[in-house]
Amino acid sequence: MEILIIGSVRGALYSLIAVGFVLVFSVGGILNLAHGTYYMLGAYLTYIFYSLVFGSGGVNSLILSAMLSVISVGIIACLVYNILLRPHIQSITYVMVMTLAIALFVSEIMSLLFGISGTSVPSLIEGSISIGGVKVINQQLILIPITGLILPALWFFLKKTKTGQGIDAVAQQRTGAILMGVSVEAATFITSGVSASLAALAGALIAPVSNVVPEMWLFPLIKAFAIAILGGIGSLVGSIIASFVVGYAEVLSSFLISEQLTELVALVVIVLVLLFKPSGIMGYKLG
Amino acid sequence: MDLKRGLARVIENQSPFGLLILVAMALLPVISDNIFYIEIVKLAAIYAIFAMSWDILTGYTHEVNFGVAFFIGGAGYFSGILNSFFSFSPYLAVPLAALAAGILGIWIGYLTLRLRGPYFAMATLAFASILFKLSFIFYEFTGGEEGISGLEPFTDDPMRDFYVAWVVMVVVYFILCIYARSKHGIILKAIRADEDATQSAGINTAYYKIEAFAISGLLAGIGGGVFAHSQMHIGPTMLSGYLSVIVVLLAMIGGMGTIVGPLVGAICLSILNESLRMVEEYRIMIYTGLLILLIYLAPDGLINLRSIKNSRILSFVFLGDRKST
Amino acid sequence: MNVLEVDDLTKNFGGLEALARIGFYVQPGEILGIIGPNGAGKTTLFNCITGFLPFDSGYVIFDGHELRGKKPYQIVNLGLTRTWQLVRPFFGMRVKEAIMVPSFCHRARSTHFSKKDREEAIVGILKEMGLGNKLETEVDNLNQGELRVLDISRALVTDPKILLLDEPFSGLSHREVENVSRVIRNLNDQGLTVVIIEHRLRELMKLVRKVVVINFGQKIAEGSPEEIVQEPRVIEAYLGQRRPKIGLG
Repeated sequence: MEILIIGSVRGALYSLIAVGFVLVFSVGGILNLAHGTYYMLGAYLTYIFYSLVFGSGGVNSLILSAMLSVISVGIIACLVYNILLRPHIQSITYVMVMTLAIALFVSEIMSLLFGISGTSVPSLIEGSISIGGVKVINQQLILIPITGLILPALWFFLKKTKTGQGIDAVAQQRTGAILMGVSVEAATFITSGVSASLAALAGALIAPVSNVVPEMWLFPLIKAFAIAILGGIGSLVGSIIASFVVGYAEVLSSFLISEQLTELVALVVIVLVLLFKPSGIMGYKLG
Repeated sequence: MDLKRGLARVIENQSPFGLLILVAMALLPVISDNIFYIEIVKLAAIYAIFAMSWDILTGYTHEVNFGVAFFIGGAGYFSGILNSFFSFSPYLAVPLAALAAGILGIWIGYLTLRLRGPYFAMATLAFASILFKLSFIFYEFTGGEEGISGLEPFTDDPMRDFYVAWVVMVVVYFILCIYARSKHGIILKAIRADEDATQSAGINTAYYKIEAFAISGLLAGIGGGVFAHSQMHIGPTMLSGYLSVIVVLLAMIGGMGTIVGPLVGAICLSILNESLRMVEEYRIMIYTGLLILLIYLAPDGLINLRSIKNSRILSFVFLGDRKST
Repeated sequence: MNVLEVDDLTKNFGGLEALARIGFYVQPGEILGIIGPNGAGKTTLFNCITGFLPFDSGYVIFDGHELRGKKPYQIVNLGLTRTWQLVRPFFGMRVKEAIMVPSFCHRARSTHFSKKDREEAIVGILKEMGLGNKLETEVDNLNQGELRVLDISRALVTDPKILLLDEPFSGLSHREVENVSRVIRNLNDQGLTVVIIEHRLRELMKLVRKVVVINFGQKIAEGSPEEIVQEPRVIEAYLGQRRPKIGLG
């Protein structure tokens, strides 16, 4: 039972992170190695907004801080795309190196501002409840309904609204979309913002109950990548399913084998999938 | 075989600027007695080894390797363990460690080089991260977060130690120059330009890519071993993603695919990094920020700038290119 | 004995049948043309034969060797070399470097034992192809015709028994086409077997003696140029696209 709940929480968390990562890759061809950084900023900025702007105050200021943080990260991501990435976007190498360098840079700034030991962010919902005889922390639990709202909203945006359909078109059939007059740059711009906001939301929600440290960008990034290749690039549903698979796999391995090895799960997934599923995803050329 | 011809080609195509830098570094201890400066330049030389060894793979095939730290730290730890647990002399431990790194390079290259582009890059990052995690899990052997201290240095004299690093750097430089101008380098360039067309020319491209990866790993491993013993300490930072990315940035800013570029880039930027120690708290941030700026301005690297390539004089001075027309 | 035998070759892409049980033979010293409307499967056929695309069933036998499952470079080293529809230069290199690449393959190394031999052979080929004075030029600075000739020269360095050319005339001016045609004819006269995919039918028909016509992944006709031109199925295949201008019949 515990496994079921914790696994679902993790799956929900990962799906928020991974979906954005996959989206920005299939729309803009950008392997955004700073994606984990947006997740991290979601956590840190919530703290910053809360402690600097509001001082203290109840749940409402916390929620507001979280929302501000998510929006700011979205804006930052759009700026990063527009200013730093767009000029040299045709070179995959450049994009990878630049986003990774940015990730390190931001990580360094956070380490300067907050030090390397964890920063604590207050919870939106305190306490815990008991489900089926298992004690679950509320803050973790709310991830599930929130994800349950956000992801279908995203789907609706992509499939039903005009802007969203344009973005979807670029992801599925780039050339066709261009011929139809869709601006790939505009699509990538919007997607960068949305994708980063989702990651930031995940960070903001999980911040109270996890380790907020300057290194927290690396492993979510690696996991997002593992989920992307497991679930298939360009398939939203695939990524969501894969997120839960990875989430459960981690929880299971921590129960069955060892706590420390959970972090290795995603890495092993990457290595195994890349090595044993060669055709199809491999040799995938962009554009 | 190709050796004599390769040697001739290397000598006639040497970059004067590169040679100048090598000589200038050798003369430093003659000019200055200051241990502090010597240590800085020694570190720069080691980073140059890292950057050059990275370049022979990524600069020449355009498959981005984000896992250099795997070989650097891996060889560093291996050599450190050989030295502190088994009392191997550094002169033996480092080559052994590098050899192990090279062999691992063959294996990992075989596994990952069938992947292209971002998948290869992420796979290399994943491997390096696995090793990073493992160093914490097996802390009895690796000293966990603190690493292994008390490693034996090469010599007792810091001045001589510097020359050890310098000699290794020069040897690595010339090995890579010869390799790059030989058939191996030409084939790698062809693979970079068009892998299918290279296959159509009857070349087993997988073999050459793996070979480049192995050599890159071996030489990075030598650098890692030299680093470990010259600092007398090896820690998890040498396995970190940060190190990998710094090496990538140094080599890219210098200029990919030239060997000289990474040499110059690594040396100049490392010296700059150390000279920022006066603002130690902000040093890493300023340094990283600067690297980002430089990559933004010159994505192909400084040595590969259009203005240099188009000028007869400059392209000779920096790249050793003699233009015929 | 046939130098190349293609039998029952089938290739599916998902639900689409790109090649449907195609078969034809090539005899040594022959010069064969393969034609067909756009999308007929001609390049897919080449890709399957040369190992760049795995195929689902059938046989490809070259010089007694079964080619299925072999990697492209292995097939080249057996003596079957191809060129590509779009020129594939090695940008960023000089001509003399680019043409050295194929000389590093096993087959070329075993034909010429000493390095000096190899280099003389390469320079000889370039001179014959008309690129003798371009050794030091950067590949980026060659024109389309020269790039095409460089492609063919590189193919020759692998010392092939049979050369597969994919649309060698595409993008060339009339004079360049004549030049390339002449080169191909000379090579064939010297004993090289050649198979050519082409769209420029007038020029092709002057060059080849036998033609295979493909449409929708199937062979619909085979014969001499004169016979093919009058074959109703061939005319029907091209109708609606454009009348083939062949200047015969």
